[in-house]
Amino acid sequence: MIPLNAIQPLMSAYGVSPSEKISPSLPVTPTDQPGILAPAQPSGDSFSTMLGKMVGEVNDKQISASQNVNNLQAGGDVSLHQAVIGMEEANVSFQLMVEVRNKLLDAYQEIMKMQL
Amino acid sequence: MIDILSGIQNTTAALDAERTRLNVISENIANANTTHGVDGKPYQRQVVVFESALRQAMDGGPATPTLRVAGIEKDPRPFDMVYEPGNPDADSHGMVATPNVNIQEEMADMISASRTFEANLAVVKNAREMALQVLSIGKH
Repeated sequence: MIPLNAIQPLMSAYGVSPSEKISPSLPVTPTDQPGILAPAQPSGDSFSTMLGKMVGEVNDKQISASQNVNNLQAGGDVSLHQAVIGMEEANVSFQLMVEVRNKLLDAYQEIMKMQL
Repeated sequence: MIDILSGIQNTTAALDAERTRLNVISENIANANTTHGVDGKPYQRQVVVFESALRQAMDGGPATPTLRVAGIEKDPRPFDMVYEPGNPDADSHGMVATPNVNIQEEMADMISASRTFEANLAVVKNAREMALQVLSIGKH
């Protein structure tokens, strides 16, 4: 271990006093140092809001698909392909939502399994 | 709104247009022998005119050209004159004006329309397959 006294002359040669190695006028933020990630600032919506919005959109798609089918069967102004495509869209977006939920649960369980 | 099946709006418009075309073709075939239409004249063959229209995305996205039916026009070709003196629609020479519908032409048109419809359906199917395959990335 190097005693502090041994490097003191070196530090003074560089014009740095040991008591203030870092000038207070230069605040060091984590982003200034390479290799250290700054915590992401939440921009806009939080994750839960985003998730809620997505679930709402999926629900909207399901509702509009079922409305299309009802309209078609009632002889409304909906063509067969519109109804089927709407249903397919609702199906795929529902699967996307399920996939997101599975990923989320996986991540949660992974964290809960962590040894402390 | 999430665009879950990409490019599906254009395909839906094309499917709509092809369906209109098939409807018009079926009308032409059904009226191939109508010598006395609602206006007293023989049935005149109808054709569908397509045009591309700009569809502005709802969320301010780029405008994409999509297909729509510009209108249903009457075929200006002359009626076929057939000698049929017993027909109540015959003129003084015994000639009857029959619709300018050619069944063979209509059948060829119908094949073209239904194949185009099929092609657009294949696009939908492909988009769906792609979306499902992408969703299976995370599966073990």
